[in-house]
Amino acid sequence: MRQFKLSSPILTILPALALIPVLGVVLAGMHNGGLFILFEFFSASIHPSLDPAVIHSAWRGLQITIATALLSWVISTFVGVLLGLISSSIFWQVFGFSTRIAIVLRRLLAIPRSIHELIWGLLLLQLLGLSPWVAIFSICIPYSCLVARVLTDQIDNLDHKALIAIRNSGVNHISTLITALLPPIIPVINSYGGYRLECALRGATLLGVFGMGGIGTELQLTLQSLEFKEMWTSLWMLGVVMISLEAGLSWWRKDSFLTKQSERQLLISMAIMLAAIVISFLWLQALDVNIFSNFQWHPIPLPTLVEIINAFSELPWINLITSTIVMTIFAAGIAIGIPPLGMMLWPTKLGTTLQSAVWSFLRLVPAPLSALLLLLCTSPSISVAALALGLQNLGVMGRLLKEGINQQNDNLYAAIHSSGSGKRLAWLYGHLSPQSKSYLAYAAYRTDVLLRETVVVGVVGGFGLGWQLQESLSSFNWAQVVLVATSFSILTLIGESISEDVRHHLLKSIKREQNPSLQN
Amino acid sequence: MTGLLDLKDIEVRENNGYRLKDIQLSINVGEKIALLGRSGAGKSTLIAVANGSLKPNSGKVSWRGIELKFLNNRQRNEIGTLWQDLRLVEELTVSQNINIGALAKKNFLWAFYNLLGTIKTKECLTCLQAVGLDNVFLTTPVQELSGGQRQRVAIARLLMQQAELLLADEPLSNLDPTLVDEVLKLFLNKRSIDPINIPKTCLISLHRPDLITNFTRVVGLKRGRIIFDCQVAELTPLEINSLYKDR
Repeated sequence: MRQFKLSSPILTILPALALIPVLGVVLAGMHNGGLFILFEFFSASIHPSLDPAVIHSAWRGLQITIATALLSWVISTFVGVLLGLISSSIFWQVFGFSTRIAIVLRRLLAIPRSIHELIWGLLLLQLLGLSPWVAIFSICIPYSCLVARVLTDQIDNLDHKALIAIRNSGVNHISTLITALLPPIIPVINSYGGYRLECALRGATLLGVFGMGGIGTELQLTLQSLEFKEMWTSLWMLGVVMISLEAGLSWWRKDSFLTKQSERQLLISMAIMLAAIVISFLWLQALDVNIFSNFQWHPIPLPTLVEIINAFSELPWINLITSTIVMTIFAAGIAIGIPPLGMMLWPTKLGTTLQSAVWSFLRLVPAPLSALLLLLCTSPSISVAALALGLQNLGVMGRLLKEGINQQNDNLYAAIHSSGSGKRLAWLYGHLSPQSKSYLAYAAYRTDVLLRETVVVGVVGGFGLGWQLQESLSSFNWAQVVLVATSFSILTLIGESISEDVRHHLLKSIKREQNPSLQN
Repeated sequence: MTGLLDLKDIEVRENNGYRLKDIQLSINVGEKIALLGRSGAGKSTLIAVANGSLKPNSGKVSWRGIELKFLNNRQRNEIGTLWQDLRLVEELTVSQNINIGALAKKNFLWAFYNLLGTIKTKECLTCLQAVGLDNVFLTTPVQELSGGQRQRVAIARLLMQQAELLLADEPLSNLDPTLVDEVLKLFLNKRSIDPINIPKTCLISLHRPDLITNFTRVVGLKRGRIIFDCQVAELTPLEINSLYKDR
């Protein structure tokens, strides 16, 4: 009997099946005016509003978002580097302490990391009121911990023989760490830090959608009032910034002559960080965002144990957790499966270019806005939330797949195509197959990100833990807030652990393929 | 009487056996000691124990009468090691790696400053020339160098440290024959390189027994045990041969 075993290229495409039930539900719920609204929205893209007042307002919002993202990025990178250093085992080893301290720190940092910036935003909004620091802190808290995690992994995976040799020759602790650790981690900070800047810009836009100022607020207000032309003015402006940033960072990573030497990298990174912090402060001040105002602390009464027990019994846990997981699975299916399927069905240069343009657009529109747009056309359901979330992440996965394929040579594709296979099959075997395992490894990580982001669409779509958190916050039920935030944190940590296992398994098998001697 | 470096009753265990057993070794000021033995005899382990990077399962190592674990940074800096795997910082240039040798005598700001460019001190240039490398290499990242050139950078870094005792693990293995002579002369103080103070005392592991005539004392290691420790003049060819035989 034939034994079925799904190969990795098929595993990249199969998740696209998730689109069928999701689209089925979304289309079934579509009302008569829905298609008209969608048509209105897309046709507005060709003629956005050029009213000077609209442009001025969008430009101001965009500047606030960029400055907020820049400031949050600098602070989170700096704090993240410090946290990453002190959560690494070698740091404590150099100072002669037990490496268990590093393990404890890593576990503690996992908690703030697992909570999405939007949850932090909603919580801090209650604590600090409407302050520019709410958005900054909301981004900084999880991002610092994310940078710390990446850096800790990198530091602990380095070969520490040189460091031990330096320390052994009587060099003091700090000089040892500076000399042996800084040079190898600077390129990591440069490369990963750039990616975090993109994330910070998206995060600042997203927080704006939930009323924390900037271009996100502009987008949300124009969408709610169905002023699509005005919305597109903001979207185009945001698009130009996003695409310029992506292009700039890609140049920085690959071709920049400035980044070839480690001392230049260090000097330039320091100069950029310093300049970014000064510019963002001055920029926000110039925009009348009073960044130096005093905090107004609104303390939250801590819930008692009885209140927590009562809240626990009140909440529909099975429904909340199931809807969060279902949302994640369907969104992940769309995000992972559609890009390879689309590229396989239309592998020509024109097809790839058009698909890239669509992915850029999808990355640009924050998921809650896509959800709101869909909700204007169809009835609310988990499918709407999953589709909105899946579409934004589809843009990210598509870009990654294209970059991966562009980096590999065409020999395999040419060999298969020249033997008489059609373009689609040649693309599947010659382009997708060599990329499929690393693509799936990244997909595992992306699923973990998606789980975290369910909170965002949940808030607007009325589903899952995100919606429940919003409800509990609105009714000042702090016991429920604590429980929902904790359960969300536990859920994302479990998801993170599963995705890490899958990723390690896939990356290990890629290594084995590249180096068959490792098989024994 | 205590020597400069004393190893007493050293044992390093591995699985069910020993990497070092019953090691008694005292190194006195001015001695030039050659450490001989087959691959796997325990030479690298002995050097790692002597410089404190490997803690023995039992026994004591002391520097000028003070146990290694109690040494402060200044005292640690008096012991210089040339590692078999060199242990250079791959991302840094030749000059930055050489300057690491002087790091213990500087503060952390200098360590940071060293990463920002090329510090060409007289000492750094002297060390570079002493190992036969041209000044043009100063700004070259060490990962772009050949095996022999990297070994020279590691030696230059060690010279820059200006230690009191030199511990070297197979320092001549990647060098061409003409340079072997030059480096040996440096290590054995037969050549001076002003203003650098070259250690007057050394323990060097060798894979070539023909070079021991340059030393004052020879220690033979076999299966983790010292089987002879004598002046070069007292050593017989039979004893040397016994090191390389199976039994």
